[in-house]
Amino acid sequence: MKISGKWIFTLLLTIFSVSLVFYFNPGGPLRILGNLLTFAGIYALAAIGLNVHFGMTGLLNFGHASFMGVGAYVTLLLVPHAAGREGEISENGLPFLSALLIGIVAAALFGLLLGLPAIRLRGDYLAIVTIAAAEIFRLLVRDLESITGGVYGIINFSSALQKYRPLFFDEFITELELAPAQIWVGLLSWVSIFFTLILIKRLNQSPWGRALRAVREDEDAVRALGKNAVWLKLQSFMLGAGIAGLAGVFLAFNYGSVQTTLFVPLLTFYVWAIMILGGVGSLTGPIFGSIIFWAIISETDKLAALIFENADGQQLAGVRFALVGLLIMILMIFRPSGLLGKKEELLLNVK
Amino acid sequence: MSNSFIRIDNLKKTFGGLKAVDVEHLTFDQNILTSIIGPNGAGKTTLFDLISGFQEEDTGEIFYKNKNITRSQPYKISRLGIVRTFQLTKVFDRMTVLENLMFSGSSIKNDSLLNSIFKTSNNKKYEKSLKDKSFQIMEDLNIHQMADSYARELSGGQKKLLELGRSLIKNPEVLMLDEPLAGVNPKLAEDLLETIQNLSKSGITILMVEHNIDAVMKISDRVVVLAEGSVIADGQPQDVRLNPKVIEAYLGTNND
Repeated sequence: MKISGKWIFTLLLTIFSVSLVFYFNPGGPLRILGNLLTFAGIYALAAIGLNVHFGMTGLLNFGHASFMGVGAYVTLLLVPHAAGREGEISENGLPFLSALLIGIVAAALFGLLLGLPAIRLRGDYLAIVTIAAAEIFRLLVRDLESITGGVYGIINFSSALQKYRPLFFDEFITELELAPAQIWVGLLSWVSIFFTLILIKRLNQSPWGRALRAVREDEDAVRALGKNAVWLKLQSFMLGAGIAGLAGVFLAFNYGSVQTTLFVPLLTFYVWAIMILGGVGSLTGPIFGSIIFWAIISETDKLAALIFENADGQQLAGVRFALVGLLIMILMIFRPSGLLGKKEELLLNVK
Repeated sequence: MSNSFIRIDNLKKTFGGLKAVDVEHLTFDQNILTSIIGPNGAGKTTLFDLISGFQEEDTGEIFYKNKNITRSQPYKISRLGIVRTFQLTKVFDRMTVLENLMFSGSSIKNDSLLNSIFKTSNNKKYEKSLKDKSFQIMEDLNIHQMADSYARELSGGQKKLLELGRSLIKNPEVLMLDEPLAGVNPKLAEDLLETIQNLSKSGITILMVEHNIDAVMKISDRVVVLAEGSVIADGQPQDVRLNPKVIEAYLGTNND
């Protein structure tokens, strides 16, 4: 009964959030919904990666944006693209799929690189190191202008992915008066979520997942029982970073251009908010957390406009984030384990 | 002397100016139940930490079966067969009792990421046997009715039992018990003592830190007394009990 109550509440809240879109946009709700679900999918994928770190292993990673960034930048630099101010398109590049795989592996290796010196730190110390490393990554990318395009970023890479868009898909999506390019990215991210969740579910119920949970609970006991806790944590770091890398690639393709400003700490905190909202350690929590989060983000300014009749757009944007904060606080008070988190596994006590 | 199971030479450990452990020479023989006692702050737990690799010594060396294990990682020492428990029980709170045991008993190969992704029939068979083994141990320790409860729901005594079971599933050669009776009710303490004694009889070498003197005297083959990091008495329980140095260390000469 307890489980179904949790699900009913989550589904109702999701339906309510999505219906806000229809209520506030009677003119063209589908377009906004498509945009919302694309973002929700990408961020849910990133939150699933973060959940591997925090939910499964108890690692406080506050540098998630950098893993997404490494995945995105490596992939984009391998496919045909144009980088920097002059921005000449390099025609030769790898096919999307192989570039994507290398990007994911690169993100995982960046996780390893960052993890090797940092993973022995516990709790909040790891958090500090990861947030610093993420900023170092971002500033490095900004300054390596000859490769990464610096502040001008990378553009003209979209066709690497969009050329695989089937014709019937275009026709169908155009009929709905939606943007095929964005929906294509959104669709692929949801497909990725599906397969990622199958993998995570399998791992959760495996000896490896069990070992990660043991690390989360008590590292010393893990070591006393002959298990290499550091290696387990590194593996978890790499897996979560790889998933984040995948999400980063979709994020870049959704925007169609990428600059370092995309991978600021705010991105990390959005992903954290989504994970906590959905339920730390919960398998499907990030999905619902992400949809609700983005529905709130996209519709609260209209909600605020109802309350503050004379406010201008800028003021409403400010109110929006205050409302988002308030909603998350209310939710945390009444459901501290998140929407789909297990109450018995309620965790924010980090070691 | 060189054939002793565990050998400690010139072991020193200080915290700031405080001398925690200063042991010139100490050996533990196979199949002997040795208790380590001493007043608070005598260095008993630090000695355990040094042997099990959880702390690094300032100087000195530790050998296990003539293999130098000084400064080895705790998990490597554990894999050699020396398994320890902790003074403050460390069970995996948000895992079930069964999971606690299965995790501990699982082999390195079984725990690997690749194995966990592909899950061959061999792995499933292994997990099944691991589950049976875990239930066997839970039944022996009489916690099988709690198999599917989260470990944090156990009583203090049951947690001690679980921690013991988690060590036993690894078939240790040396079992290091850090205050196994602390916070355990008298009835359960008696059962635990009997279990420990049986383990010793079954061939496991046991080192035990314990404050309950009566219990120590009852089951130990040998008692080592530490005070301010050094061994002040060592021998059969009845001899140690009458040793004036021990009485002095425990009661103090100018008691304040």
